[in-house]
Amino acid sequence: MSTWQATMAALTALAAAVAGFAALSLAVDRHWEALHGRGSDPGPLRRRLQGGGSAGLLVSLLACIALKGSAQGWVAWAGMLTAGAFVVVLMSTYAPAKVPPLAKAMAGVALVAGLLAAL
Amino acid sequence: MKEGFRQSMAWLHTWSGLLVGWLLFLVFSAGTAAYFRDEITLWMKPELHAAAHASVPQTAALGHAQALLAQRAANANRWFITMPSEREPAVRASWMPAKKKDGAESKPRGRRRFESAELDPVTGAELSAPRATRGGDFFYRLHFDLHYMSPLWARWMVGIAAMFMLVAILSGIVTHKRIFKDFFTFRPAKGQRSWLDAHNVTAVLALPYHLMITFTGIVTLMFLYMPWGVQALYPSQDKFFTDLNNALPADAKPARQPAPLAPLAPMLAQASAAWEGAPVGRVTVNFPGDANATVLISRQSGRAIGYDQPTMLFNGVSGRPLSSSGAPGAATETRSVLYGLHIARFSNPLLRGLFFLSGLAGCAMVATGLLLWAVKERQKHAKALARGERHVGLRLVDGLNIGAIAGVPIAMAAFFWANRLLPATMPERPDAEIRWFFIAWGVAALIALARPSRRMWQLLLAVGGVLFALLPVLNAMTGGAHLGTAVAEGLWPVAGFDLVTLALGIALLFAARRLQRPAAVRKAPVTQVTAEAA
Amino acid sequence: MADTLRSSGWAYRGGVLVRAVAAIGGGYGVSALWAAAIATWLPAPKVEAALTGTLIALVVYPCAIMWCFAARSAVRAWVGLALVAILPVCALALHGGAA
Repeated sequence: MSTWQATMAALTALAAAVAGFAALSLAVDRHWEALHGRGSDPGPLRRRLQGGGSAGLLVSLLACIALKGSAQGWVAWAGMLTAGAFVVVLMSTYAPAKVPPLAKAMAGVALVAGLLAAL
Repeated sequence: MKEGFRQSMAWLHTWSGLLVGWLLFLVFSAGTAAYFRDEITLWMKPELHAAAHASVPQTAALGHAQALLAQRAANANRWFITMPSEREPAVRASWMPAKKKDGAESKPRGRRRFESAELDPVTGAELSAPRATRGGDFFYRLHFDLHYMSPLWARWMVGIAAMFMLVAILSGIVTHKRIFKDFFTFRPAKGQRSWLDAHNVTAVLALPYHLMITFTGIVTLMFLYMPWGVQALYPSQDKFFTDLNNALPADAKPARQPAPLAPLAPMLAQASAAWEGAPVGRVTVNFPGDANATVLISRQSGRAIGYDQPTMLFNGVSGRPLSSSGAPGAATETRSVLYGLHIARFSNPLLRGLFFLSGLAGCAMVATGLLLWAVKERQKHAKALARGERHVGLRLVDGLNIGAIAGVPIAMAAFFWANRLLPATMPERPDAEIRWFFIAWGVAALIALARPSRRMWQLLLAVGGVLFALLPVLNAMTGGAHLGTAVAEGLWPVAGFDLVTLALGIALLFAARRLQRPAAVRKAPVTQVTAEAA
Repeated sequence: MADTLRSSGWAYRGGVLVRAVAAIGGGYGVSALWAAAIATWLPAPKVEAALTGTLIALVVYPCAIMWCFAARSAVRAWVGLALVAILPVCALALHGGAA
């Protein structure tokens, strides 16, 4: 794997983790309410947020395994999850309104970087 | 504990964490620094920053090392050659000077005096003797051998602390009711609640890491803590280790008959070929120049997670292979992986960087736990304190917290500053640098105990922050490759050190600044409070 | 939670002490027994058996500690440990007898 591919794979892993956790955070009542007001409920959107969020974490795992192989890949994934979750915690605390755009932007980054890594 | 499982685990969590918290903060800090011990060592030897970085075939580097050893260590019992890698650009030749004839065979795990030389892998020239320093190895040793005490005592203390911590983590998981709902929750500037949130976040977000590092830490010294499995099957631990490591039996002796050492390069090539071209990591020559000479070659680490590397043993006179480590069994491989996860000598900087971040989270977890407890205790005595009474116990805990937490960055920075400011050729230099670590820490702790207060936190954090942030400047002004040169020449260990210390310094200053705001809990709207209490 | 316990005074402290001894000392003893028993009885090369026993003991120990504080009384803590110790003690005795 060339340095360029490796960098793109790592970027995919990180961006997908951030996007995934951002989506998952919005499925939690507290953080949804921070955006849409007390008492509001994501409703059917909750399932989709959870599904999409988990999918993001899975993409992150695949990128890590592609990057470091099957053993070190899991270790790298754990680290990426930690880093991604921290980003989302900071965002949710200090700029909660920016969490949905962050999720979308990071999903886009993950997609582009993933394609660049695969080519 | 009649109140139920969760509550009993909460009680256990608080006490097991608290009793060892101060020691654990040191262990976590030093251990996290140790992820980059080679890089730290290189930074602390500015004389080596000019080492050539062209990659050379391993046989050429080996040849230089062997030439030097034949010249300087002809009488030694053992030679060690460490091949250059991405983390250490020089090739290192070390040897154990020959023991006196009547000296008893030293215990395998005792400390011995090594001598070594660092060579430029391209030219073979000995790099201008770098200043004597323990470098990053100080932090590595500190986190389990502590210092100024026998390693045995230290390892038991650290092992007990690790077991307490493992219990704290497991009971913490049991007791954390809203682990998913509170996963992303952090509410700053709300006093005790904020400390609790910070503690939860730093603990949960890196939970797999914390579990892994604590358990694997115990595993690395498990033959000390839990020798009963080995003892049931082996008459002595030495025989067990011989079995485990495909090593020479501890009672192998030189024949006391001279015989020329066979050329090492073909052995190296043969080993590398047996491992599908993977580079060699270490070459150990037993009894060079003797008829009983043997050569043990191991593969370079950093490729797989497992710590154990395959090895090949050669006859030192004929050059023929004697044995190779076979396919490891399940338990051996498990131990190797667990060991490897803890030591983390991965060559890839990404993995080590992620581990480093998780280690910092671990430091934050321990620190916020200690502070949370102090805040809770303070609340219990709030009325008495408001009346102006002084509570000795609280003052002591506050002072110890400040000293144990804010003192560590100051101590580490002092170590680095001493490295550059102490004269390069002074006797007992490594010990002098280490002494400055402890002197700085002691002074900080004493001041903290004298006047434990919010201002003291600010002061000590700011001091640590300034000392750290100025390290890149110190580097440039005392003969190291400054940031611009290091980046331009790809000397990433040194550049990375400068950047990370700068970042840590800024973070410490930021923390000191945030403490400016008063600690009064902000008056939250009533509805919000009741909702959060639910 | 700790406040209600504190009101018990010396009874509380005594209970904690008994549990702590059980956890730290008794737990270690139980783990050591399991290490030796597994090493002795596991049908595998000596290195493998010794390592397996040791690794498993390191998992048994924290569980034993947690048990000692989760048990409904200090006496139960010790009883639980004793129960878990029966199997390895028998295993070791059998092996010692056979040898």
